Amino acid sequence: MKALVWISLIIISLLSLFPFYIMTVMGTHYNEDLFKGIPIFPGDYLMENLRTVFKTDFLRVYGNSLIVSVTSVCLALITSTLIGYALAKFDFKGRKWIQMFVILTMMVPTQVGLIGYIIEMRNIGLGNTLWPVILIWTAFPFGAFFMIQFMRDSIPNDLMECARIDGCSEPGIFIRIVLPIIKPGLATLATLVFLWSWNNYLLPLVTINKSEWFTLPVFISNLGYVHRTDYAARMAALTMTTLPVLILFLFGSRTFMKGLTAGAVKG
Amino acid sequence: MNAEQVKTSSATTLKRRWGPQMWPYLFSLPFVLAYGAFQLYPVLYSFVLSLYEWNGISAKTFIGIQNYVHLWTEDPLFIKSIMNTLIMMAMFIPITLILGLLLAYWTFNLTRGKNMIQTINVLPYITTPVAIGFIFSYMFDWQTGLVNLLMMKFGWLQEGFYWLQDEWSSRAIIALMVIWRNLGYFMIIYMAGMTVIPQDIYEAARVDGSTGFHTFRRITMPLLRNISVFLVVTSVIGGLQLFDEPKLLYGGWSGSSQVGGPDNAALTIIWKFVDESFISNTRFGYASAIAYSLFILIVIFSMLSYRLTTSREDRR
Repeated sequence: MKALVWISLIIISLLSLFPFYIMTVMGTHYNEDLFKGIPIFPGDYLMENLRTVFKTDFLRVYGNSLIVSVTSVCLALITSTLIGYALAKFDFKGRKWIQMFVILTMMVPTQVGLIGYIIEMRNIGLGNTLWPVILIWTAFPFGAFFMIQFMRDSIPNDLMECARIDGCSEPGIFIRIVLPIIKPGLATLATLVFLWSWNNYLLPLVTINKSEWFTLPVFISNLGYVHRTDYAARMAALTMTTLPVLILFLFGSRTFMKGLTAGAVKG
Repeated sequence: MNAEQVKTSSATTLKRRWGPQMWPYLFSLPFVLAYGAFQLYPVLYSFVLSLYEWNGISAKTFIGIQNYVHLWTEDPLFIKSIMNTLIMMAMFIPITLILGLLLAYWTFNLTRGKNMIQTINVLPYITTPVAIGFIFSYMFDWQTGLVNLLMMKFGWLQEGFYWLQDEWSSRAIIALMVIWRNLGYFMIIYMAGMTVIPQDIYEAARVDGSTGFHTFRRITMPLLRNISVFLVVTSVIGGLQLFDEPKLLYGGWSGSSQVGGPDNAALTIIWKFVDESFISNTRFGYASAIAYSLFILIVIFSMLSYRLTTSREDRR
């Protein structure tokens, strides 16, 4: 029985890894060789493929994606943390209402307002820039919800009271006492927002038409139609695209999984 | 609670008494404002648009609920896109749920290699959908795809099968992409749920002579019901918004930007929505009506799935 379990686990894990492996290996072959047979072993064409990729706007687009993801992470963290702090640690008139509001916002899918959002962005002059892809993260309902939960459990009320009695101002308490305590929560949320904004495909697809402002997912799915379709080069580009999230994930896999499971186990 | 506030603030100055009361509002403000500006306003504006005929350039004409009427009665493609989405959901939700639970159960009881198996299986979840689209359309390609090559080698097929050009196989491949991507996610959610189950329940079961599958069926599964409900409801909500996988399967590798796959068998609701508004057409009013119809569908189906998954609990 135990052997059977192990065999099944190993097969499933290999199936999980296989497409990754194929992607990496394909990036090391000469494009036309890909169609001759199954590329199981790495080839020796990686440098050439990389050269092809870097001849395009790849670096610029990579930069775009980094800008988008980093800015989104910062904005989402700021708004989520602030509202999370208010709702978890203060008792004030209307708290229930605002909390209800946050929960309701989680239930409205972003796609419903997509057209309105795009028209709005055009009207305020942000069409065809990176802003539409970033600003959507300024109000991230899951982030707010996650922060409420996280702060409720992790910040001792006594600590805040002591600081208040010592004459520490409210922003001071937030910056000097609360922020250091919730670092793990911030890390978790940051990884999730980074992942989701990095991989986002639909929003940049419909908001950005100028190739100079493309982000990686849109850029790669449009790559190489001009001369010939170079699949090998594309695969090399994709491998490089997966790299940042892979590194982030391998370094903080604990943090990461904690974030993913946060909503489920409590609710 | 109020008494406590008065007590703490009486120790401080008058200015500080209203100070703490102002701060929570200030702290909530950025989120509320940003939500209003970038999500609530667009959602409401989309609703207004759904009552108009508008192509984004010329003047808007108010036509009331005409868009909705046309959509639900005279657009067979929209109905088909709903059916497609539901069919694919019916394929991937049960499989991911069962496999995820099994995988979690097996991995949870391992003494070694737990973390490694977890990490490996979550990898697909973090891969960009573009990569998943390319990889799958390469693997299932008619001429050069791995699947056909392997099947012909083993003699299961005489000649290559057009996986991506057949209605049902294309839906199955999309379902497979979703399963491949989400399996690890389901697994870690279930494992997180398992850590909450107290170990003495298992002890008691063992003393009573329950083993292996019986324990799993009678103890683990019922105790994980809340998790299953969460997973079903969220994957129904996510499934109705399926777009990346089908679009990238047909828009990537094959080079053609065929809409909807073979005979529109892979056209999902969101794909139809995006196509009407940004790709083939710019019918903003009509597409907004699609978005709102989808919203209503999401509300109905998530409530339905919640009911279905929790009523079983009451029956026991």
